[in-house]
Amino acid sequence: MTQVQGAAPVLPRTPNRLDPIPGRRSLDDQTLAMIVSLASEVTILRARLDAAERLLTAANIFAPDAVDNFTPDAAAQAARERQRQHSMAKIFRPLREAAAIDLATLSSPEKVQP
Amino acid sequence: MTSPSPKGIVEARAAQAHPMIALPSHDELVEQLFIRDLKQFVMAELEPAQQRIAEKLEAAIQPQASNDPVGALRGQMEQVGSFGTWLSLKRESQRQLWYAVTDCVERQAAELQALGQIDNPKGSLTIDPDFQAPDYITMGDIHLMPGGNAYDDGTLLQGAVMDRGGAVYMLGRNGGMLNDLRGQTAMAHLLTIAPDIKPDRILDMGCGIGTSTVPAALCFPDAEVHGVDVGGSMLRYAHARAEHLGAAVHFSRQSAERTSFPDASFDVVYSCAMLHETSPAAMVNILAESRRLLRPGGVAIHLEVPLLHTFGDLWQELSAELEAQFNNEPNWRGALSVDYAQMMRAAGFGDVRAGYQATAFNARLAAKKFGDTSDGVFRSWFVTSGRV
Ligand SMILES: C[S@@+](CC[C@H](N)C(=O)[O-])C[C@H]1O[C@@H](n2cnc3c(N)ncnc32)[C@H](O)[C@@H]1O
Repeated sequence: MTQVQGAAPVLPRTPNRLDPIPGRRSLDDQTLAMIVSLASEVTILRARLDAAERLLTAANIFAPDAVDNFTPDAAAQAARERQRQHSMAKIFRPLREAAAIDLATLSSPEKVQP
Repeated sequence: MTSPSPKGIVEARAAQAHPMIALPSHDELVEQLFIRDLKQFVMAELEPAQQRIAEKLEAAIQPQASNDPVGALRGQMEQVGSFGTWLSLKRESQRQLWYAVTDCVERQAAELQALGQIDNPKGSLTIDPDFQAPDYITMGDIHLMPGGNAYDDGTLLQGAVMDRGGAVYMLGRNGGMLNDLRGQTAMAHLLTIAPDIKPDRILDMGCGIGTSTVPAALCFPDAEVHGVDVGGSMLRYAHARAEHLGAAVHFSRQSAERTSFPDASFDVVYSCAMLHETSPAAMVNILAESRRLLRPGGVAIHLEVPLLHTFGDLWQELSAELEAQFNNEPNWRGALSVDYAQMMRAAGFGDVRAGYQATAFNARLAAKKFGDTSDGVFRSWFVTSGRV
């Protein structure tokens, strides 16, 4: 019997036989899978943050409602505004790109119907 | 034994039921809970709408227009966008399960391998390296578990993946971390039909990681208990798991269709949720093998998921077909629609029973309830039994 020694063992990750799902493009499934993974990551992150808040409260570093009562000052508000816009642009980039392509197609002279 | 918490997975390491199971970190546990909840969401929130869509479409299908009404319904459903999304998300949730559990196992591989080193075992492990798994095992990875059931890389890690995955997959409905209610229920059936039985030798066919085998060893501590399955990694894990639970079990890598045990060498031969992972031909072979192995007076018990009751319910039939195709359950429909009593008689059994055994948490203490009606999925299991 071979033993795991030193080198980290690697187990398979892709199951044998994944029939295509009728009516679904492979790309649809790829996108869905990525969204599920993101939702999973966000859930983990939230739970970790919750753990951190509870630990900080228990250690008397935070008051129990410290985060909820937090009011950002002007500089913090501006920074947070930039963060939100950055996230928005990043997350919805594909929609903007797709719309831009549609618009370009419609605007190019050859494509205009007589 | 305590009953499982309603949510199944307890968010505390100390609540783990046996020392061999892979322990999740904080983040891994949240990830696994997320997957459990996602599966629940797909099942409880998305699936009922598909069922209602199917009922609407079904009403429009002319019975005489097709001699394949399930196929006709499927064709219509495939035109519905949300049908594809539902199916896709359902499969993705299953893939996420294995992915997450594999992360958790790989991280603690060295620790698990060390726990697998058993000095002076009460049971044993025999792995034939030349074993050829049947086609229905190798043709598609059952339940989409990467590597499949026959996997063997010389470690026990795939078994650890199966154990942790099973605990998450069953959503806590099958005995929490021990995941052993099927084995307990099979033993409860044995004690229902033969209350005073004192078997010398017991065989669990399709034992997996031993979740169904350990209950036999604990219920009959004086018996010699054997378990057979097709995977080296899973059996290595089964051996370590059983030893850590204090159960003496002899595991070997063999096909239940034809084992190396001599004729008439067991008093009890049983299987739990194995037949639906085989093939129609293999089912016949397995029942015949269970007959061959029994001594006069011996008992065979085969436990399965509750039967597809309502034939003619097109949605149920279509669901079974989808489960078989997209979750790689090779014999789902075969095992759920066959006439077991007839098959058991054809295999040469007498005193044949087929019905529902109430789920047991502990075979000895459980109410010995067996009859024609099911109390519902997970509250009872379909069981067929016969005597030689
Ligand atoms: C759903 S699992 C059930 C495991 C266990 N009996 C339990 O109830 O927890 C079914 C098992 O049957 C095994 N199996 C399928 N065909 C088999 C065969 N021909 N011989 C031995 N095992 C088989 C599979 O590898 C799998 O581990």
